[in-house]
Amino acid sequence: MALDTALSPTSEQLTAWGIDPSWSRRVSINGADGRPVDWHVFDTGPGPRGTIVCVHGNPTWAYAWRDVLTTLSPAWRVIAVDQTGMGFSERGRPRVLEQRIEEVVSFCRQEVSGPLVLVAHDWGGPISIGAAGQLGVEALILANTAVAKPVDVKLPPLIAASRALVNVICRLTPLFVDGTARMTSQQHRVALRAPYRTAKRRAAVRDFVADIPLSPKDVSVEALERCAEILGSLECPMLLLWGANDPVFHDRFLRDLRARAPHADVQRFADAGHLVALDTPIGAVVADWLDANNPTERLDDNNSQKSSVSSDDGFLSVLAAVKQRAEDPSPVYVGPDGSLSWAALATRSQRVAQVLIDDGVVKGDRVALLIPPSLDLLVAVCALWRCGAVPVVADASAGLTSLKALMRAQSPRYVVGTKLTVLLARSLRVAPHAGYGLFGSLPGARDLGHHSHSHSQSQSHDRGDVTVTSSDVAAIVHTSGATGPAKAVRYTHGQLSAQRAAMGALLDSDPDTAFTTSFAAFMLLSPLLGKTCVRPDFDINQPSTLGFNELQDASQRARVTAAWLSPASAKQVVATAKGRSLSIPLVMLAGAPIAPSLRKDLATITGGEIRTPYGMTECLPVTDGVQGEVHEGQPGVGVGVALEGCVIVIDRLDAPDQRVVAAEGWGEILVSAPWLFDGYEGAVRADLSSTVHRGGIRFHRTGDVGYLVGEELFVLGRRIHVIDAAVGPLASVALEGRVGDALAREVAAVGVGPKGAQVVALVVEREGSLRLAPKETSDAARAALDISVAAVLEGVLPRDRRHQSKVDRTALGVTVSDFLAGR
Amino acid sequence: MLRVLVTGASSLLGRAVVAGLVQRGDEVTCFQRRPSASLGVDVLGDIRDADALHAAARGHAAIIHLAALVAPRPRWCDAYDINVGGTCNVLDTARDCGRLVYISTPSVAFHDLPSMGSAAEAACYGGLDAYARSKAMAEVEVLSRRDLASVILRPHLVWGPGDTQLVGRIVSRARQGRLVLPDHGRALLDTTYIDDAAAAILAGLDRSGDAPAVWGRPLVVTGNDPRPLAELVTGILRAAGISRSPRSLPAPLVDRIGRVVGRWWPTDEPPLTQFAARQLSVAHWFDQRDTQAALRWTPVVSVDEGIGRLTTWFHEQGSSAPRLR
Repeated sequence: MALDTALSPTSEQLTAWGIDPSWSRRVSINGADGRPVDWHVFDTGPGPRGTIVCVHGNPTWAYAWRDVLTTLSPAWRVIAVDQTGMGFSERGRPRVLEQRIEEVVSFCRQEVSGPLVLVAHDWGGPISIGAAGQLGVEALILANTAVAKPVDVKLPPLIAASRALVNVICRLTPLFVDGTARMTSQQHRVALRAPYRTAKRRAAVRDFVADIPLSPKDVSVEALERCAEILGSLECPMLLLWGANDPVFHDRFLRDLRARAPHADVQRFADAGHLVALDTPIGAVVADWLDANNPTERLDDNNSQKSSVSSDDGFLSVLAAVKQRAEDPSPVYVGPDGSLSWAALATRSQRVAQVLIDDGVVKGDRVALLIPPSLDLLVAVCALWRCGAVPVVADASAGLTSLKALMRAQSPRYVVGTKLTVLLARSLRVAPHAGYGLFGSLPGARDLGHHSHSHSQSQSHDRGDVTVTSSDVAAIVHTSGATGPAKAVRYTHGQLSAQRAAMGALLDSDPDTAFTTSFAAFMLLSPLLGKTCVRPDFDINQPSTLGFNELQDASQRARVTAAWLSPASAKQVVATAKGRSLSIPLVMLAGAPIAPSLRKDLATITGGEIRTPYGMTECLPVTDGVQGEVHEGQPGVGVGVALEGCVIVIDRLDAPDQRVVAAEGWGEILVSAPWLFDGYEGAVRADLSSTVHRGGIRFHRTGDVGYLVGEELFVLGRRIHVIDAAVGPLASVALEGRVGDALAREVAAVGVGPKGAQVVALVVEREGSLRLAPKETSDAARAALDISVAAVLEGVLPRDRRHQSKVDRTALGVTVSDFLAGR
Repeated sequence: MLRVLVTGASSLLGRAVVAGLVQRGDEVTCFQRRPSASLGVDVLGDIRDADALHAAARGHAAIIHLAALVAPRPRWCDAYDINVGGTCNVLDTARDCGRLVYISTPSVAFHDLPSMGSAAEAACYGGLDAYARSKAMAEVEVLSRRDLASVILRPHLVWGPGDTQLVGRIVSRARQGRLVLPDHGRALLDTTYIDDAAAAILAGLDRSGDAPAVWGRPLVVTGNDPRPLAELVTGILRAAGISRSPRSLPAPLVDRIGRVVGRWWPTDEPPLTQFAARQLSVAHWFDQRDTQAALRWTPVVSVDEGIGRLTTWFHEQGSSAPRLR
C-alpha cells in the first residue's frame, strides 16, 4: 500500500485532515543512537511571539496538535513533531525514555531560537518535562499525562500485560492504535490511524508501551523519576489541560501532577477524554493563557499580586482565631442539634484532626465536605484546617447530578459526611478510591467521633497542627450556577483572614452577641467572625421554611443582634408574622433585588435596620448595604458604599454614544479586595476571562452592571441582560422598574436585533401565549419611558429553573425576536 | 441658492421635497407629465423623453430623481421603460448638472426573510414584482456611474397626511371591510413620516455637494421607530376615525391569497398582491446609525407624533370634504 511506503502524508490527505500541506516538512536530527534520523514535522513557519514545540504521545502523532497548529499560528511558530519510529518519521531502533528526551532536546537546539514553549500529551509529557529540564523553556503545557503512578492506582490491563501480549496488541494487530483512535470523534480516526497501517510501522508503538517502567528493574525507572523531580523544580508557568473522561490518565493523575507542581494552572474539560487536544478546542485556551503569561506582562502581574494580596503581617488564620479561644466556655454555635462552646470546638476538632491524619489526610488534600450546616460541620471544617486539608463545599440544593459533577471535578482524596451522604457518595462514585469519614459508624468508613488512640487526648497538643501560610489554599466553594455553570471558587487562608475583617465590619464588634442566618455558607462564619451563630430550625435547602416562628425562636436562644436572610426567607417571615414583632437590630438581605415593600415590612417586624450588602461567591462582601438617602427615580438597587479595603470600578460598556437611561457612567462592576478569591479551580479559562488588571490591581469582572452615585453603588442587573441599542446600552432592570411601577404588573425588557442596533421590546406578564398588548397597556408602558419602545407584548415570562424568581431574559429575548420577525 | 430639478414632483413626497427646497430659498423646476400642484415651476414632460428632460434640466446644478412607476401590478415593459429607461435618461442629463439624488426603495433588496436591524444590502433582481425588479436595475445603473456625485436613498414605507399609497389603501380597504393582517400584524416594520423623508432627501442633496464619502452608496432611510404592523395600522385607522379592528389570517394563507388575487384580479388595483403580503408579514427594520451619520440628519417625527398629525389632518378633511357624508 502506498501509505506504508510513502515517507510523508500527501497534500490531499493533509488537506482532507484540515492541515495546511505547506506545514509538512522533514528534518534530519541527531539520533540518540548516534545516527541521523529523519523526522517528519508540521511547522507553521516564523511567528513573532516565539516557538511552540508539540510532543505527541503513544500511539498518536503530530496530527493530534491540529487545533494548536491552526489557532496559534501565525502569532507563534508552532512545530508538531513525529518522534522517531512514530507518525511519518523514520522507523529506527527502539528508543527508551532517556533517548527520546535527548532527541527532543537535540531537535529544539537545532531548530528553535528564541522563546520556547513545550506542549505535550500522554508519554510526550515525561519526554517534554525531561527536555524542559535541559532547555530552559518559557512555559510548559501538559495534557493528560503522568510522571508517576499514584500509589493507590491500578495500572490498566494493557500496560500491565505481559510483553508477548503487548506485542500482539500493539504491533501485530492494530488493536491499540484503533482503540486509541476510537477514544475521539469519527472525524479524526482516519488521520490517527494513517501512519500505523502495518505491523512494521507499529514497532515503535509497541516499544513505547514496553518502555513504561513497571518494576524497579526496568530501564526507564530512573529516567522517569528524574522527570518527576524536574517537574517539581520547574519554575516556569505551567498549564495542565485535562480531559476528564480518560480511562487511563484519570483525575487522580491530575491530582498527582498538581501536588508536584502546585503553581500550575489547570483547565479541566468535563466533556473531553484522553485525546483532549482533539476532543475540545484547546488552542484558544492555550492562546489566552500564553497571552496572560507573557514574559513582559508577567513582571507586572507579580508586582500587582504583591500590592493586592496582603502579606503575612496581620494574617490570622481562622484556625488560629479558634485556638485563641480554646478555653472559652461561651457558645460558638447554637442550633436544634445542640450547642457547641469555643472550648469544645477546639478539643473536638483536634480529636477529629487526629483521626483524619491517622487516616492519611495530609496538607493540601482536597476533602469533600458533605455535611449539612450543623455542629458537626463546624467541627469538621476546623479539623480539616488543623490537618492543612482543603474542605470542598457545594450546595446540595443544586441536585445530586450536579453535586456529583462538582465534587468529582475536585477529585477529593477523602470524603467527610453523614451516614446518608457517605452512602450516597459511595454509590454515586463521587470520589473513586477516596477515604471516608463520618460522625457515626458505617462499615468501610472511619468514625470521626470515635478516637481509638489512647494518646490522642493527652498528647494531642504535641502532635501540633500543620502550619499554614496566607497563600495556602483554605477552601473550595461553588457558585450557585444560577447565572451560568457552577464554578469552583478557591480561597487561600490569607483571603479568608481578610474576609474575617470585612465581615466583621458589617456586624457589631461585641463578641458576646450572636447572629442567625438562612444561608448554609454563612453558618460557617461564626468561628471566622468570633461570634455565636444561632442556626434556626428549618430546612436549609428550602429557605422559605424559615418563617417568623423559626426566626423568633432563634433570636431567643442567644443575644441575636443580626440576621442574615435570603429574600425567600425574608418573604416568609413577613408572610407569617401576623402582626407580631420581634427584636433584631440588624437584618441583612442578600441575593436577588429586594422590593421596597419587603424592606419596609421587615423593618416594622424586626424593629431593626435593613441592609442589602452586595457581594458574590468570588468576593463577599463588597458593600456595606446601607442605603443612602433615597434618590428619587434612581434605577437599580442601592447597595451602599464599598467596604474598607474594597475597590469598585465601573467598566464602561463599549458604546459609540453614551446616552444612557440610567445615569452617567454605568457599566460592568469590577471589584477588588484583599478577600477577593484566589481563582477558579480547574478552570483557568474562566479565570482568564473574569480577571482584569487595572493600575496594577487584580479585579474581578462581576458580570453585573451598575453605577456609582458618589460612593454609593447601584446595581442594574446582569451584564448579559443589557440591551445593546443604537442609542447606547440600556439596562433592562432600569426599564422594567419604571414600566412595572406604572402598570403594577411584572415586566421584562429585552433587546431585539443585532448587537449595537437593538430595539426595546417589553413583555408584560399575563396568562396565555405571546401576543401584542392592547393599546391601553402599550400606551401606558411607553409613557413610563423616555426612550422609544418598538413593541409591547403580553405573555408568560419564562423563569430560570433554579430560583423561579429571576426572569430568564435570554430565553425570552429569543422568543420575542422570533415573534416580531413575523413569518 | 441652488437651482434644482425635481422629477416626479406630483407625488406626496415630491411635493414635500419641493416645498422644503423652496422654503429654504432654492429655485425649483418640477418635471413630470401632469401639473404637480407644488410650489415649484412646472415643466411638463415624460421621463422617457430624453430630449425634453435635457432641455428642462439646462442650467440646473442638481437633480432629485423621484419619478417612478409605482403600481401594484405594472406591466414589465412600462416598469422597465419608466424606472430603468427614465433613470438612464436622468443619469445622462445629470452629467451636465454634476449632482444627483436618486430615490430608490428598500424593496430592491427584498429577499423574503426577516430583516432585523440590518444595514442597506446590495440590490438583487429577485424581487417579486416588476416594480422591485426594475427599481433594482435602475439602482445598479446609478451605482455604475462612478463619475457622478450621486446620493442614493431608499426611504422605507413613507406615509403621512395626503398619502394615497399606504394610508389611502389601508383606510379604503378597511372601509370596504377587506383589510386583513397576516398573523395579527406582529411583524416589526420601520416607516418614514413624510416630513422626515423629505428632510432626508434635502440632506442628501447637500451631501451630494460636500460629502464624497456618501456618493454611490445606497442608504436606507427610516423614521427609526419600528412598530408591529398591527400597531401602525390601527393607529392609522383610528386617525381616520375607524374603530373597527382589521381581521387576522395566518401569514401563509395571506401569502397564497396574495398570489392568486394579485395575478387574476380584473382591474389594475388588486386588493392584495403576493409582494404586499410578504412585505407585511415579515419584519423589516434597519440599523440607521450609518445613514444618520452619513446624511447628518435625524428623523424628528415619531410614529405616535405622526399618527397625531394624521388625526388632525383627517379631522380637517372630514369637516371640509363631502366624501364622508
